[in-house]
Amino acid sequence: MNSLTDNSLMLQVKAGQVDKMGLLFERYHRPLLAFFYHATSHATGSEDLVQTVFYRMLKYRHTFSGEGEFRTWMYHLARNVLADAAKKEKPAKYHQDVADWAEKIGGGPTADASLQKNQEVDLLHRALGQLSADAREVLVLSRFQELKYEQIATLLNTTAGAVKVRAHRALGQLKDIYMKMENGSKVH
Amino acid sequence: MEAKFINCEQVREGLMDWLANEMPADEAQAVEAHLAQCPDCRREQAAVWQLWQAMGNLPVPEPSEQMRPRFYSMLAEFQAAEQRKQQWSVAALVQKLRDWWQPAYAMRLAYGLALLVVGLAAGYGLKARVDAPGAATQQPLAAVPAPAENAQQAQLLALLANPSAVQRLRAVSYAEEVAPTNERVVGALLSTLYQDPNVNVRLATLEVLAGLADDPTVRQGLVRALAQQDSPLVQSAMADVMVQLQERRSVRGLRKLLRQDNLNEQVKTKIEQSIQSLSHDRSAPADASTPSTYHENNDHTDSALDTSVAA
Repeated sequence: MNSLTDNSLMLQVKAGQVDKMGLLFERYHRPLLAFFYHATSHATGSEDLVQTVFYRMLKYRHTFSGEGEFRTWMYHLARNVLADAAKKEKPAKYHQDVADWAEKIGGGPTADASLQKNQEVDLLHRALGQLSADAREVLVLSRFQELKYEQIATLLNTTAGAVKVRAHRALGQLKDIYMKMENGSKVH
Repeated sequence: MEAKFINCEQVREGLMDWLANEMPADEAQAVEAHLAQCPDCRREQAAVWQLWQAMGNLPVPEPSEQMRPRFYSMLAEFQAAEQRKQQWSVAALVQKLRDWWQPAYAMRLAYGLALLVVGLAAGYGLKARVDAPGAATQQPLAAVPAPAENAQQAQLLALLANPSAVQRLRAVSYAEEVAPTNERVVGALLSTLYQDPNVNVRLATLEVLAGLADDPTVRQGLVRALAQQDSPLVQSAMADVMVQLQERRSVRGLRKLLRQDNLNEQVKTKIEQSIQSLSHDRSAPADASTPSTYHENNDHTDSALDTSVAA
Protein backbone atom coordinates (compact mmCIF):
# COMPACT_ATOMS: atom_id res chain seq x y z
CA MET A 1 0.00 0.00 0.00
CA ASN A 2 2.30 2.67 1.28
CA SER A 3 5.10 2.86 -1.22
CA LEU A 4 7.20 4.92 1.16
CA THR A 5 7.64 2.39 3.94
CA ASP A 6 11.18 1.16 4.45
CA ASN A 7 10.24 -2.28 3.25
CA SER A 8 8.50 -1.19 0.08
CA LEU A 9 11.32 1.21 -0.76
CA MET A 10 13.85 -1.55 -0.37
CA LEU A 11 11.71 -3.90 -2.45
CA GLN A 12 11.63 -1.26 -5.17
CA VAL A 13 15.39 -1.03 -5.00
CA LYS A 14 15.52 -4.79 -5.30
CA ALA A 15 13.22 -4.66 -8.33
CA GLY A 16 15.69 -2.36 -10.08
CA GLN A 17 14.73 1.15 -8.96
CA VAL A 18 18.12 1.61 -7.46
CA ASP A 19 17.66 5.36 -6.97
CA LYS A 20 15.05 4.63 -4.27
CA MET A 21 18.02 3.93 -2.02
CA GLY A 22 18.40 7.70 -1.75
CA LEU A 23 15.34 7.96 0.49
CA LEU A 24 16.62 5.20 2.71
CA PHE A 25 19.94 6.98 2.95
CA GLU A 26 18.17 10.14 4.09
CA ARG A 27 16.35 8.13 6.73
CA TYR A 28 19.16 6.02 8.06
CA HIS A 29 22.57 7.55 7.52
CA ARG A 30 22.39 9.32 10.89
CA PRO A 31 21.26 6.32 12.94
CA LEU A 32 23.90 4.21 11.22
CA LEU A 33 26.54 6.84 11.84
CA ALA A 34 25.58 6.80 15.51
CA PHE A 35 25.71 3.01 15.54
CA PHE A 36 29.27 2.95 14.24
CA TYR A 37 30.33 5.95 16.25
CA HIS A 38 29.18 4.40 19.51
CA ALA A 39 30.85 1.17 18.58
CA THR A 40 34.16 2.60 17.41
CA SER A 41 34.34 6.14 18.77
CA HIS A 42 35.75 7.13 15.45
CA ALA A 43 33.81 9.78 13.58
CA THR A 44 35.40 9.78 10.11
CA GLY A 45 35.89 6.02 10.11
CA SER A 46 32.23 5.67 10.96
CA GLU A 47 31.23 7.57 7.85
CA ASP A 48 33.19 5.14 5.72
CA LEU A 49 31.44 2.26 7.41
CA VAL A 50 28.03 3.83 6.79
CA GLN A 51 28.94 4.17 3.13
CA THR A 52 29.95 0.53 3.07
CA VAL A 53 26.60 -0.51 4.55
CA PHE A 54 24.72 1.36 1.83
CA TYR A 55 26.94 -0.13 -0.83
CA ARG A 56 26.33 -3.61 0.50
CA MET A 57 22.59 -3.00 0.68
CA LEU A 58 22.73 -2.21 -3.04
CA LYS A 59 24.97 -5.08 -3.89
CA TYR A 60 23.09 -7.67 -1.87
CA ARG A 61 19.63 -6.21 -2.44
CA HIS A 62 18.39 -9.58 -3.72
CA THR A 63 18.86 -11.01 -0.22
CA PHE A 64 16.17 -8.69 1.15
CA SER A 65 13.04 -10.83 1.20
CA GLY A 66 10.63 -8.19 2.44
CA GLU A 67 9.32 -10.63 5.04
CA GLY A 68 11.41 -9.29 7.88
CA GLU A 69 11.81 -5.65 8.75
CA PHE A 70 14.13 -3.52 6.71
CA ARG A 71 15.85 -2.12 9.80
CA THR A 72 16.68 -5.58 11.07
CA TRP A 73 18.18 -6.50 7.73
CA MET A 74 20.10 -3.21 7.60
CA TYR A 75 21.58 -3.70 11.06
CA HIS A 76 22.43 -7.24 10.16
CA LEU A 77 24.58 -5.90 7.34
CA ALA A 78 25.89 -3.10 9.56
CA ARG A 79 27.05 -5.62 12.16
CA ASN A 80 28.88 -7.56 9.46
CA VAL A 81 30.52 -4.37 8.23
CA LEU A 82 31.59 -3.61 11.78
CA ALA A 83 32.97 -7.10 12.31
CA ASP A 84 34.89 -6.92 9.00
CA ALA A 85 36.33 -3.54 9.92
CA ALA A 86 37.34 -4.79 13.35
CA LYS A 87 39.17 -7.70 11.73
CA LYS A 88 40.98 -5.44 9.31
CA GLU A 89 41.94 -2.68 11.71
CA LYS A 90 44.17 -3.05 14.65
CA PRO A 91 42.09 -4.34 17.56
CA ALA A 92 43.32 -1.45 19.69
CA LYS A 93 41.30 0.92 17.62
CA TYR A 94 38.09 -0.82 18.48
CA HIS A 95 38.60 -1.97 22.03
CA GLN A 96 40.12 1.36 22.38
CA ASP A 97 42.45 2.60 24.92
CA VAL A 98 40.70 5.17 27.06
CA ALA A 99 43.72 7.46 26.92
CA ASP A 100 43.89 7.90 23.17
CA TRP A 101 40.14 7.89 22.85
CA ALA A 102 39.71 11.52 23.87
CA GLU A 103 42.44 12.47 21.46
CA LYS A 104 40.67 10.79 18.60
CA ILE A 105 37.43 12.55 19.27
CA GLY A 106 39.15 15.85 19.83
CA GLY A 107 41.12 15.49 16.61
CA GLY A 108 38.23 14.31 14.48
CA PRO A 109 36.90 16.98 12.15
CA THR A 110 33.31 16.30 13.12
CA ALA A 111 33.75 15.82 16.82
CA ASP A 112 31.27 17.74 18.84
CA ALA A 113 33.02 20.51 20.75
CA SER A 114 30.63 20.17 23.63
CA LEU A 115 31.96 16.65 24.15
CA GLN A 116 35.13 17.91 25.70
CA LYS A 117 33.35 20.49 27.76
CA ASN A 118 30.78 18.25 29.25
CA GLN A 119 32.64 16.04 31.65
CA GLU A 120 29.68 13.86 32.46
CA VAL A 121 29.06 13.05 28.84
CA ASP A 122 32.75 12.49 28.32
CA LEU A 123 32.87 10.06 31.22
CA LEU A 124 29.88 8.14 30.07
CA HIS A 125 31.23 7.78 26.57
CA ARG A 126 34.51 6.53 27.91
CA ALA A 127 32.68 4.09 30.14
CA LEU A 128 30.78 2.82 27.14
CA GLY A 129 34.06 2.35 25.35
CA GLN A 130 35.26 0.11 28.15
CA LEU A 131 32.37 -2.30 27.85
CA SER A 132 32.94 -5.51 25.96
CA ALA A 133 31.87 -5.28 22.32
CA ASP A 134 28.94 -7.64 22.91
CA ALA A 135 27.65 -5.77 25.92
CA ARG A 136 28.04 -2.42 24.20
CA GLU A 137 26.26 -3.64 21.10
CA VAL A 138 23.09 -4.62 22.94
CA LEU A 139 22.96 -1.23 24.63
CA VAL A 140 23.69 0.64 21.44
CA LEU A 141 21.00 -1.23 19.55
CA SER A 142 18.34 -0.78 22.19
CA ARG A 143 19.19 2.71 23.38
CA PHE A 144 20.62 4.49 20.39
CA GLN A 145 19.02 2.67 17.50
CA GLU A 146 15.76 2.30 19.38
CA LEU A 147 15.26 -1.21 18.20
CA LYS A 148 12.75 -3.23 20.17
CA TYR A 149 14.07 -6.21 22.11
CA GLU A 150 12.18 -8.43 19.74
CA GLN A 151 14.01 -6.91 16.77
CA ILE A 152 17.39 -7.14 18.46
CA ALA A 153 16.63 -10.77 19.22
CA THR A 154 16.01 -11.44 15.51
CA LEU A 155 19.23 -9.65 14.68
CA LEU A 156 21.32 -11.54 17.24
CA ASN A 157 19.52 -14.79 16.57
CA THR A 158 18.31 -15.21 20.13
CA THR A 159 15.19 -14.56 22.21
CA ALA A 160 13.85 -11.24 23.44
CA GLY A 161 14.22 -12.50 27.00
CA ALA A 162 17.90 -13.24 26.49
CA VAL A 163 18.42 -9.79 24.97
CA LYS A 164 16.84 -8.14 27.98
CA VAL A 165 19.01 -10.11 30.35
CA ARG A 166 22.11 -9.20 28.36
CA ALA A 167 21.09 -5.53 28.19
CA HIS A 168 20.34 -5.46 31.89
CA ARG A 169 23.73 -6.92 32.71
CA ALA A 170 25.47 -4.52 30.32
CA LEU A 171 23.71 -1.60 31.90
CA GLY A 172 24.86 -2.74 35.33
CA GLN A 173 28.45 -3.02 34.08
CA LEU A 174 28.24 0.39 32.49
CA LYS A 175 26.99 1.85 35.73
CA ASP A 176 29.87 0.28 37.68
CA ILE A 177 32.50 1.49 35.21
CA TYR A 178 30.96 4.92 35.20
CA MET A 179 30.91 5.13 39.01
CA LYS A 180 34.52 4.00 39.21
CA MET A 181 35.59 6.62 36.69
CA GLU A 182 33.58 9.29 38.39
CA ASN A 183 35.19 8.49 41.74
CA GLY A 184 38.59 8.37 40.08
CA SER A 185 38.19 11.80 38.54
CA LYS A 186 37.00 13.20 41.84
CA VAL A 187 40.08 11.87 43.53
CA HIS A 188 42.26 13.64 40.96
CA MET B 1 -8.33 -1.78 38.05
CA GLU B 2 -6.49 -2.73 41.19
CA ALA B 3 -2.75 -2.67 40.77
CA LYS B 4 -0.96 -5.98 40.71
CA PHE B 5 1.34 -6.64 43.60
CA ILE B 6 4.92 -7.28 42.56
CA ASN B 7 8.15 -7.73 44.52
CA CYS B 8 11.68 -6.28 44.14
CA GLU B 9 12.80 -9.23 42.01
CA GLN B 10 10.01 -8.69 39.53
CA VAL B 11 10.79 -4.99 39.37
CA ARG B 12 14.36 -5.80 38.46
CA GLU B 13 13.23 -8.30 35.84
CA GLY B 14 10.98 -5.74 34.24
CA LEU B 15 13.58 -2.99 34.35
CA MET B 16 14.63 -3.17 30.72
CA ASP B 17 11.05 -3.16 29.48
CA TRP B 18 10.31 -0.26 31.75
CA LEU B 19 13.30 1.71 30.47
CA ALA B 20 12.56 1.06 26.84
CA ASN B 21 8.91 1.88 27.35
CA GLU B 22 7.93 -1.60 26.23
CA MET B 23 5.98 -2.37 29.40
CA PRO B 24 2.21 -2.90 29.37
CA ALA B 25 0.33 -0.17 31.24
CA ASP B 26 -0.96 -2.32 34.08
CA GLU B 27 2.48 -3.71 34.77
CA ALA B 28 3.97 -0.22 34.74
CA GLN B 29 1.37 0.77 37.29
CA ALA B 30 2.37 -2.13 39.48
CA VAL B 31 6.01 -1.05 39.25
CA GLU B 32 5.08 2.49 40.27
CA ALA B 33 3.12 1.11 43.20
CA HIS B 34 6.08 -0.96 44.33
CA LEU B 35 8.54 1.90 43.97
CA ALA B 36 6.28 4.11 46.07
CA GLN B 37 6.83 1.86 49.07
CA CYS B 38 10.32 0.40 48.44
CA PRO B 39 13.16 2.96 48.89
CA ASP B 40 15.85 0.48 47.77
CA CYS B 41 14.19 -0.18 44.48
CA ARG B 42 13.45 3.50 44.09
CA ARG B 43 17.12 4.39 44.48
CA GLU B 44 18.23 1.65 42.12
CA GLN B 45 15.64 2.53 39.50
CA ALA B 46 16.46 6.23 39.67
CA ALA B 47 20.18 5.59 39.15
CA VAL B 48 19.57 3.37 36.16
CA TRP B 49 17.04 5.79 34.75
CA GLN B 50 19.57 8.58 35.02
CA LEU B 51 22.18 6.54 33.23
CA TRP B 52 19.70 5.57 30.54
CA GLN B 53 18.76 9.22 30.02
CA ALA B 54 22.39 10.27 29.93
CA MET B 55 23.07 7.67 27.28
CA GLY B 56 20.23 9.07 25.23
CA ASN B 57 21.83 12.48 25.47
CA LEU B 58 25.22 11.32 24.30
CA PRO B 59 26.13 13.46 21.33
CA VAL B 60 26.71 11.88 18.00
CA PRO B 61 28.90 13.62 15.45
CA GLU B 62 27.09 15.45 12.68
CA PRO B 63 27.57 13.85 9.28
CA SER B 64 30.33 15.64 7.45
CA GLU B 65 29.56 17.69 4.37
CA GLN B 66 31.13 15.09 2.13
CA MET B 67 28.96 12.27 3.39
CA ARG B 68 25.86 12.95 1.29
CA PRO B 69 27.65 13.72 -2.00
CA ARG B 70 29.80 10.65 -1.50
CA PHE B 71 26.75 8.46 -1.11
CA TYR B 72 24.97 9.89 -4.14
CA SER B 73 27.97 9.56 -6.39
CA MET B 74 28.37 5.97 -5.25
CA LEU B 75 24.69 5.40 -6.00
CA ALA B 76 24.99 6.95 -9.47
CA GLU B 77 28.05 4.85 -10.21
CA PHE B 78 26.31 1.73 -9.05
CA GLN B 79 23.30 2.54 -11.19
CA ALA B 80 25.41 3.14 -14.27
CA ALA B 81 27.33 -0.09 -13.75
CA GLU B 82 24.05 -1.93 -13.29
CA GLN B 83 22.70 -0.52 -16.55
CA ARG B 84 25.84 -1.43 -18.43
CA LYS B 85 25.62 -4.93 -17.05
CA GLN B 86 22.01 -5.20 -18.13
CA GLN B 87 22.77 -3.99 -21.60
CA TRP B 88 25.57 -6.46 -21.92
CA SER B 89 24.03 -9.41 -20.26
CA VAL B 90 20.29 -9.67 -20.53
CA ALA B 91 19.16 -7.55 -23.43
CA ALA B 92 22.14 -8.17 -25.65
CA LEU B 93 22.19 -11.88 -25.02
CA VAL B 94 18.50 -12.31 -25.67
CA GLN B 95 18.78 -10.29 -28.85
CA LYS B 96 21.70 -12.32 -30.06
CA LEU B 97 19.90 -15.55 -29.29
CA ARG B 98 16.84 -14.29 -31.13
CA ASP B 99 18.94 -13.27 -34.05
CA TRP B 100 20.57 -16.51 -34.78
CA TRP B 101 19.42 -19.33 -32.60
CA GLN B 102 15.87 -19.47 -33.83
CA PRO B 103 16.48 -19.37 -37.58
CA ALA B 104 19.12 -22.00 -37.03
CA TYR B 105 16.66 -24.11 -35.15
CA ALA B 106 14.04 -23.61 -37.82
CA MET B 107 16.57 -24.52 -40.47
CA ARG B 108 17.50 -27.75 -38.73
CA LEU B 109 13.87 -28.60 -38.25
CA ALA B 110 12.95 -27.81 -41.83
CA TYR B 111 16.00 -29.64 -43.13
CA GLY B 112 15.18 -32.78 -41.23
CA LEU B 113 11.56 -32.72 -42.17
CA ALA B 114 12.21 -31.89 -45.77
CA LEU B 115 14.49 -34.92 -45.98
CA LEU B 116 11.89 -37.13 -44.38
CA VAL B 117 9.02 -35.91 -46.50
CA VAL B 118 11.02 -36.00 -49.70
CA GLY B 119 12.28 -39.48 -48.93
CA LEU B 120 8.80 -40.74 -48.27
CA ALA B 121 7.33 -39.05 -51.29
CA ALA B 122 10.05 -40.33 -53.54
CA GLY B 123 9.72 -43.82 -52.16
CA TYR B 124 6.05 -43.72 -52.78
CA GLY B 125 6.64 -42.43 -56.27
CA LEU B 126 8.90 -45.40 -57.02
CA LYS B 127 6.42 -47.95 -55.77
CA ALA B 128 3.26 -46.53 -57.21
CA ARG B 129 3.44 -44.00 -59.96
CA VAL B 130 -0.17 -43.12 -59.66
CA ASP B 131 -0.21 -39.60 -58.37
CA ALA B 132 2.84 -38.12 -59.95
CA PRO B 133 4.64 -40.07 -62.64
CA GLY B 134 7.68 -37.83 -62.57
CA ALA B 135 8.04 -37.84 -58.83
CA ALA B 136 10.47 -40.71 -58.58
CA THR B 137 13.07 -39.08 -60.75
CA GLN B 138 12.55 -35.56 -59.52
CA GLN B 139 12.27 -35.99 -55.79
CA PRO B 140 15.71 -37.44 -55.02
CA LEU B 141 17.29 -34.35 -56.48
CA ALA B 142 15.24 -32.26 -54.12
CA ALA B 143 16.62 -34.23 -51.17
CA VAL B 144 19.25 -31.55 -50.93
CA PRO B 145 16.94 -28.90 -49.51
CA ALA B 146 16.76 -25.74 -51.46
CA PRO B 147 17.85 -22.69 -49.53
CA ALA B 148 15.16 -20.24 -48.59
CA GLU B 149 14.51 -18.47 -51.84
CA ASN B 150 14.20 -15.02 -50.45
CA ALA B 151 14.09 -12.94 -47.34
CA GLN B 152 10.34 -13.42 -47.02
CA GLN B 153 10.73 -17.13 -46.73
CA ALA B 154 13.61 -16.88 -44.34
CA GLN B 155 11.53 -14.64 -42.13
CA LEU B 156 8.66 -17.07 -42.40
CA LEU B 157 10.80 -19.98 -41.30
CA ALA B 158 12.04 -18.00 -38.32
CA LEU B 159 8.53 -17.01 -37.33
CA LEU B 160 7.31 -20.60 -37.49
CA ALA B 161 9.85 -21.53 -34.83
CA ASN B 162 8.85 -18.66 -32.56
CA PRO B 163 7.84 -19.73 -29.07
CA SER B 164 4.82 -17.44 -29.15
CA ALA B 165 1.69 -19.07 -30.62
CA VAL B 166 0.50 -15.70 -31.87
CA GLN B 167 3.72 -15.27 -33.83
CA ARG B 168 3.39 -18.73 -35.32
CA LEU B 169 -0.21 -17.99 -36.31
CA ARG B 170 1.06 -14.88 -38.02
CA ALA B 171 3.66 -16.97 -39.80
CA VAL B 172 1.05 -19.45 -41.02
CA SER B 173 -1.22 -16.79 -42.45
CA TYR B 174 1.84 -15.12 -43.90
CA ALA B 175 2.70 -18.41 -45.57
CA GLU B 176 -0.62 -18.31 -47.38
CA GLU B 177 0.28 -14.94 -48.89
CA VAL B 178 3.77 -15.90 -49.91
CA ALA B 179 2.44 -19.05 -51.60
CA PRO B 180 5.18 -21.30 -50.27
CA THR B 181 6.30 -23.38 -53.15
CA ASN B 182 9.65 -23.66 -51.42
CA GLU B 183 10.24 -27.12 -50.06
CA ARG B 184 11.64 -25.89 -46.80
CA VAL B 185 8.62 -23.78 -46.15
CA VAL B 186 6.32 -26.69 -46.94
CA GLY B 187 8.42 -28.89 -44.67
CA ALA B 188 8.20 -26.39 -41.85
CA LEU B 189 4.44 -26.07 -42.29
CA LEU B 190 4.02 -29.83 -42.21
CA SER B 191 6.11 -30.10 -39.08
CA THR B 192 3.95 -27.39 -37.55
CA LEU B 193 0.89 -29.46 -38.36
CA TYR B 194 2.53 -32.57 -36.85
CA GLN B 195 3.79 -31.16 -33.63
CA ASP B 196 2.76 -27.63 -32.86
CA PRO B 197 1.36 -27.63 -29.31
CA ASN B 198 -1.26 -25.03 -30.14
CA VAL B 199 -4.54 -26.22 -31.69
CA ASN B 200 -5.25 -22.92 -33.41
CA VAL B 201 -1.87 -22.92 -35.05
CA ARG B 202 -2.40 -26.48 -36.28
CA LEU B 203 -5.87 -25.61 -37.65
CA ALA B 204 -4.54 -22.58 -39.50
CA THR B 205 -1.69 -24.64 -40.87
CA LEU B 206 -4.09 -27.33 -42.03
CA GLU B 207 -6.08 -24.73 -43.91
CA VAL B 208 -3.02 -23.40 -45.70
CA LEU B 209 -1.74 -26.87 -46.52
CA ALA B 210 -5.16 -27.94 -47.86
CA GLY B 211 -4.83 -25.11 -50.35
CA LEU B 212 -1.49 -26.54 -51.50
CA ALA B 213 -2.76 -30.08 -51.84
CA ASP B 214 -1.93 -30.16 -55.54
CA ASP B 215 1.60 -30.82 -54.41
CA PRO B 216 1.96 -34.59 -53.83
CA THR B 217 4.38 -33.90 -50.96
CA VAL B 218 1.73 -31.92 -49.18
CA ARG B 219 -0.97 -34.55 -49.78
CA GLN B 220 1.29 -37.25 -48.48
CA GLY B 221 2.17 -35.12 -45.48
CA LEU B 222 -1.47 -34.49 -44.71
CA VAL B 223 -2.27 -38.19 -44.79
CA ARG B 224 0.59 -38.92 -42.45
CA ALA B 225 -0.40 -36.11 -40.11
CA LEU B 226 -3.86 -37.61 -39.74
CA ALA B 227 -2.94 -40.36 -37.29
CA GLN B 228 -0.90 -38.01 -35.10
CA GLN B 229 -3.67 -35.65 -34.16
CA ASP B 230 -5.14 -35.86 -30.71
CA SER B 231 -7.33 -32.77 -30.68
CA PRO B 232 -10.97 -33.49 -31.73
CA LEU B 233 -11.08 -30.13 -33.48
CA VAL B 234 -8.11 -30.91 -35.66
CA GLN B 235 -9.23 -34.49 -36.18
CA SER B 236 -12.58 -33.49 -37.59
CA ALA B 237 -11.08 -30.64 -39.61
CA MET B 238 -8.64 -33.11 -41.14
CA ALA B 239 -11.42 -35.55 -41.94
CA ASP B 240 -13.19 -32.72 -43.75
CA VAL B 241 -10.11 -31.87 -45.74
CA MET B 242 -9.62 -35.50 -46.73
CA VAL B 243 -13.16 -35.74 -48.05
CA GLN B 244 -12.69 -32.44 -49.81
CA LEU B 245 -9.51 -33.64 -51.48
CA GLN B 246 -11.00 -37.08 -52.10
CA GLU B 247 -7.79 -38.44 -50.65
CA ARG B 248 -8.48 -42.15 -50.55
CA ARG B 249 -5.15 -42.97 -49.02
CA SER B 250 -6.37 -41.26 -45.90
CA VAL B 251 -8.84 -44.07 -45.21
CA ARG B 252 -6.17 -46.05 -43.47
CA GLY B 253 -5.20 -43.10 -41.30
CA LEU B 254 -8.83 -42.40 -40.52
CA ARG B 255 -9.39 -46.01 -39.49
CA LYS B 256 -6.38 -45.76 -37.25
CA LEU B 257 -7.90 -42.66 -35.69
CA LEU B 258 -11.11 -44.58 -35.04
CA ARG B 259 -9.16 -47.02 -32.92
CA GLN B 260 -8.00 -44.27 -30.53
CA ASP B 261 -9.40 -44.95 -27.07
CA ASN B 262 -10.45 -41.48 -26.07
CA LEU B 263 -11.94 -40.46 -29.38
CA ASN B 264 -14.66 -37.83 -29.17
CA GLU B 265 -18.09 -39.30 -30.12
CA GLN B 266 -18.86 -36.56 -32.61
CA VAL B 267 -15.50 -36.93 -34.22
CA LYS B 268 -16.04 -40.67 -34.42
CA THR B 269 -19.30 -40.20 -36.31
CA LYS B 270 -17.67 -37.68 -38.56
CA ILE B 271 -14.75 -39.91 -39.37
CA GLU B 272 -17.02 -42.84 -40.08
CA GLN B 273 -18.95 -40.67 -42.50
CA SER B 274 -15.76 -39.52 -44.11
CA ILE B 275 -14.52 -43.06 -44.57
CA GLN B 276 -17.82 -44.00 -46.18
CA SER B 277 -17.73 -41.02 -48.43
CA LEU B 278 -14.14 -41.76 -49.48
CA SER B 279 -14.78 -45.46 -50.08
CA HIS B 280 -17.98 -45.11 -52.08
CA ASP B 281 -18.00 -41.84 -53.91
CA ARG B 282 -15.42 -42.89 -56.39
CA SER B 283 -15.09 -46.59 -56.69
CA ALA B 284 -13.48 -46.44 -60.11
CA PRO B 285 -9.78 -45.94 -59.19
CA ALA B 286 -10.20 -47.99 -56.04
CA ASP B 287 -7.17 -50.08 -57.01
CA ALA B 288 -5.06 -47.01 -56.36
CA SER B 289 -5.55 -47.42 -52.63
CA THR B 290 -3.97 -50.84 -52.66
CA PRO B 291 -0.45 -49.86 -53.59
CA SER B 292 -0.61 -46.89 -51.28
CA THR B 293 -1.45 -49.09 -48.32
CA TYR B 294 1.27 -51.42 -49.39
CA HIS B 295 3.66 -48.51 -49.58
CA GLU B 296 2.88 -47.39 -46.05
CA ASN B 297 4.15 -50.68 -44.76
CA ASN B 298 7.38 -50.38 -46.66
CA ASP B 299 8.53 -46.87 -45.91
CA HIS B 300 11.99 -47.90 -44.89
CA THR B 301 12.78 -50.17 -47.76
CA ASP B 302 11.50 -47.55 -50.10
CA SER B 303 13.67 -44.85 -48.66
CA ALA B 304 16.71 -47.07 -48.88
CA LEU B 305 15.91 -47.90 -52.46
CA ASP B 306 15.36 -44.26 -53.07
CA THR B 307 18.81 -43.26 -51.86
CA SER B 308 20.48 -45.82 -54.03
CA VAL B 309 18.65 -44.48 -57.03
CA ALA B 310 19.69 -40.97 -56.12
CA ALA B 311 23.28 -42.08 -55.82
